[in-house]
Amino acid sequence: MDDTNQNLRISVSDFIALTNQTLEYAFPFVEVEGEVSSFKINQGKYVFFDLKDEGGSIGCFMMAWQLRLPIEEGMKVIVGASPKLTQWGKFSLTVRSIRPSGEGSLKKSFELLKEKLTKEGLFASERKRSLPEIPEHIGVISSVEAAGYADFIKILDERFGGIRIEVAHVQVQGESAPDQIIRALKHFNSREILPEVVVIVRGGGSADDLSTFNDELLVREIAGSRIPTLVGVGHEVDVTLADLAADVRAATPSNAAQLLVPHRREVAKRVRHKVNLLVPRIERIMDQQETLVRHIVQGAFESLTRKQAQAEERLEMLRQVLYQLDPRIVLKRGYAIVHGDVQPGAVIEIEKSDILITAEVRDVSKKQ
Amino acid sequence: MSVKNNKTIAEKTATLQELVAWFDGDNFTLEKALEKFSEAEKLAAEIEHDLLSLKNDIEVVKARFDEV
Repeated sequence: MDDTNQNLRISVSDFIALTNQTLEYAFPFVEVEGEVSSFKINQGKYVFFDLKDEGGSIGCFMMAWQLRLPIEEGMKVIVGASPKLTQWGKFSLTVRSIRPSGEGSLKKSFELLKEKLTKEGLFASERKRSLPEIPEHIGVISSVEAAGYADFIKILDERFGGIRIEVAHVQVQGESAPDQIIRALKHFNSREILPEVVVIVRGGGSADDLSTFNDELLVREIAGSRIPTLVGVGHEVDVTLADLAADVRAATPSNAAQLLVPHRREVAKRVRHKVNLLVPRIERIMDQQETLVRHIVQGAFESLTRKQAQAEERLEMLRQVLYQLDPRIVLKRGYAIVHGDVQPGAVIEIEKSDILITAEVRDVSKKQ
Repeated sequence: MSVKNNKTIAEKTATLQELVAWFDGDNFTLEKALEKFSEAEKLAAEIEHDLLSLKNDIEVVKARFDEV
């Protein structure tokens, strides 16, 4: 009996290779949801765990650097993987990505990573930098098709103008979103002329959608950015680890625009107020100058008045002296003036204050 | 101090700050104050105009971030 044309006979190695080719053709990439068990990391590099549900269990392998979120026993996850038959005949999933599934696992993973990064000080308030008061050049990382981006730009345009806005268009949800955002951050941080702020915005979404912003590598990249960061992701109630790592956290994309720039009308009002304040200032200085001049004039007038009074006083004194020297005043005191040649026989005139006397001199002799 | 029209709002605001600070400085003279004041007023009007009319310049980066 010829059995070669009945069954395919190949070596073990070829069989494994053929099986893997078939698997690769049938399931090049598959997402499998299950619960993590027997989780272990060997040599800090290789991650092994089983993914199981009520009906079965399958082994999984991945590299430690591909682990972007903390995973622990019992956590429900979705793995993105390729099925593979190993050379030892063990069927396993080679995992390329892993993310928590369901609210409970997402929350658990979030809390674990938050605790880890908090211990490292990534969210410490002393690390936070303030944003420039009015930036002239900003980098925005978002999807230009997203509603959150449109909200951000709308509010920004309403509030302020003249800003150079460079937009890095990235996916803001899905498996590749964290890496795209990381590349965009690296792009802005490696520019010769750095933007003054990098803004990361995304509108609301499910917890799974927003889990992009809880990616460990992304959170570390935000925390390590040379450029100050402003993150506005989701709605007000959503808090992501990216928010916590950012220098400034905005509640929403619209709020990010509000925090980034003041309203142009407010700034215009402040500018006008600043100039208007100069008017009373100039008036006050003019008043001071006027008061100073008035004091000087007043001082000069008082000095002049004083000098005039002194001169008048001196004049009065002189007048008094002159008065006392007046001959008529002397005559009034009883004295008389003798006019003529005083010698015996001569006729002389004797003048008193009120009468003139004509007399003849009988004798002239020296006083003893 | 002449004000160039091609200055940004921030530069014009900085110039305005300098002008305002001059009024508190040692070089203040009443003779120059009116000249400085009218300069500040003109600059403030320019800033107001810029603030209310300037548009943002949006440029989408050409680099692709979906490729390694």
